[in-house]
Amino acid sequence: MKYITTVNGKEYNIEILDEQHISLGQELLDVDFKSVADQPVFSLIIDGKSYEAYVYPEEESIQVLFRGRSFSITVEDEREKRLKAAGGSTVSENAEFLLRSPMPGLVISLPVSEGQKVKKGEVLLILESMKMQNELKSPRAGILSRVKVKPGDNVEQRQILLSVV
Amino acid sequence: MNKVLIANRGEIAVRIIRACRELGIETVAVYSEADRQALHVRYADEAYLLGPAPSRESYLRDDKIIDIAKRSGAQAIHPGYGFLAERADFAQTCLDEGLIFIGPKPSAISAMGDKAIARATVSKAGVSVVPGTEGEGSLSNDELLKIAGKIGFPLLIKATAGGGGKGMREVQSIDDMPGLINAARREAEASFGDGNVYLEKLVEGARHIEFQILADQFGNVIHLGERECSLQRRHQKLLEETPSPFIGDDQELRQKMGDVAVKAALAVDYVNAGTIEFLVDKEKNFYFLEMNTRLQVEHPITEMVTGVDIVKEQIRISRGRQLSYTQGDIHQNGAALECRINAEDPFNSFLPSTGLISHSILPTGPGIRVDTGVYPGFEITSYYDPLISKLVTWGENRAQTILRMRRALEEYRIVGVRTNIPFHQRMMDSHRFMAGQFDTRFVEERFSMDEDNISKDPNSEIAAVIATLVTHHQYELSAQIVRRGERDTSNWKWVGRWERMSH
Repeated sequence: MKYITTVNGKEYNIEILDEQHISLGQELLDVDFKSVADQPVFSLIIDGKSYEAYVYPEEESIQVLFRGRSFSITVEDEREKRLKAAGGSTVSENAEFLLRSPMPGLVISLPVSEGQKVKKGEVLLILESMKMQNELKSPRAGILSRVKVKPGDNVEQRQILLSVV
Repeated sequence: MNKVLIANRGEIAVRIIRACRELGIETVAVYSEADRQALHVRYADEAYLLGPAPSRESYLRDDKIIDIAKRSGAQAIHPGYGFLAERADFAQTCLDEGLIFIGPKPSAISAMGDKAIARATVSKAGVSVVPGTEGEGSLSNDELLKIAGKIGFPLLIKATAGGGGKGMREVQSIDDMPGLINAARREAEASFGDGNVYLEKLVEGARHIEFQILADQFGNVIHLGERECSLQRRHQKLLEETPSPFIGDDQELRQKMGDVAVKAALAVDYVNAGTIEFLVDKEKNFYFLEMNTRLQVEHPITEMVTGVDIVKEQIRISRGRQLSYTQGDIHQNGAALECRINAEDPFNSFLPSTGLISHSILPTGPGIRVDTGVYPGFEITSYYDPLISKLVTWGENRAQTILRMRRALEEYRIVGVRTNIPFHQRMMDSHRFMAGQFDTRFVEERFSMDEDNISKDPNSEIAAVIATLVTHHQYELSAQIVRRGERDTSNWKWVGRWERMSH
């Protein structure tokens, strides 16, 4: 799974390849990661180097206490990042909004039918991807139209799913 | 004396129990309802309940403590620090009841307890004090305003019954003064039940250096060298060291200050262990600040470099024996540093943190001493001070001691409450601290816990990897819960096939 991890504005691209391997940017690294005695203390052995840190989840981020410093870190997987990009783009109130699939996946359901009114923030489509169900919401109020998919369909990234007018 | 009651809790109660035990003296602990499982209760030979958690219903109940001392057959009471340690009336009651108070005479406590009287007493004996309101007695606001002009600004308004920075105000100009006097009086009244204040010139760039003294009942008074206590936050000491990097190799200054400390103790017929605090300016002028008529929190650093067990010596003095040492026997060997490990979050305005200590690894190994009253399973409550432990390191010189402290802080693990360990780690990395260039304002004015440049920290990459792995594990865990049904089915299918094949 690919993650984009941000420490005070600086982004790291980290991919978890399997239990023992990650890639950090272009680098492939051996990792051994353990919670110490069920505590918020974690031990990381990475390419033979051993580290320990306290990890405290906060509302929007994770606090890592490490070597006397407090790192406030946000971790987003690619899915979240794309969802944000899809929902966060500025949407004109007049133009037709085309909902594109933020990632490849399987359409689970369409809670609203074509022609119905939708409110801003209302769920338009549930898409399963990376074993997680993701709610794709309407960025503005309008009427659901041009539904191109149905439950059970596999969709590609960037594929147009439906529109709101 | 073969049984001592310890009228205190936490690490200092444990410290005193240790001294008694090594001397073959039985110990009596007292405790509040919140401290039933505290280490001092577990370590003592006897333990008696005082009452509910709040101090005034437990550790400040002098009547109950005296009663328990008599009931248990203890001949002496050691007050530790805080609570009843500097209450002359309590020391007097002990004497009246035929109990030994392990500390100074009540007259010395009251003479030093009223800061204005203390200033007058020691200056009469030829000890210089910070310029300020001379003499004793209560001064009115008008009188204070008149004297303020003579002292000059900036100056400090201080509570005569004061301590810990309560009832203290800094004044920059005469216009601000009336309001600040009233604020200081209100705070002093609330904290000490005494709204009396006095004025003192604010010494800029000042260092806070104190001398440990020991005095027996035969008039022998010695000092055990100095402790540098300039690193404070809101007048609370955070770390202390000895020798002072400011005095350094200046043996002449050290001797002069030590002699004056002895003189100040003699001025009040002092007996037992005490501490003379000095303010030292940039030009090495030093002024008497106050005397603490008790064992200090930071006494272990002096023990580390002198080899003197101060608590045992206190007991020896109270038994009416002569000091074990003369001034000539006392030498500072190497350097020692103490970090006060408090349950407070340095990344969140040092707010107190309470909770159950679920896990703890104490640093050990060469040159390390940890005095603590807590252990995993013990709860840090908001009833008492936030001191979890005192981490003390010793080294051949200051640099070795700092490197050892860095190592010890890195080893230390406490889970369940937030601690100020990161603050100390940052301090050990501070160039100004390493160079010994700091004054009493350093922590508040020049030292920051802000993480502005943290993305440039070489450790941020590792921190990012750790945060990512934790997040990933959480995802995996939640995904497993969702998919459990699915996996169960396939497992059963697999078992079914296997059974068919083996038949």
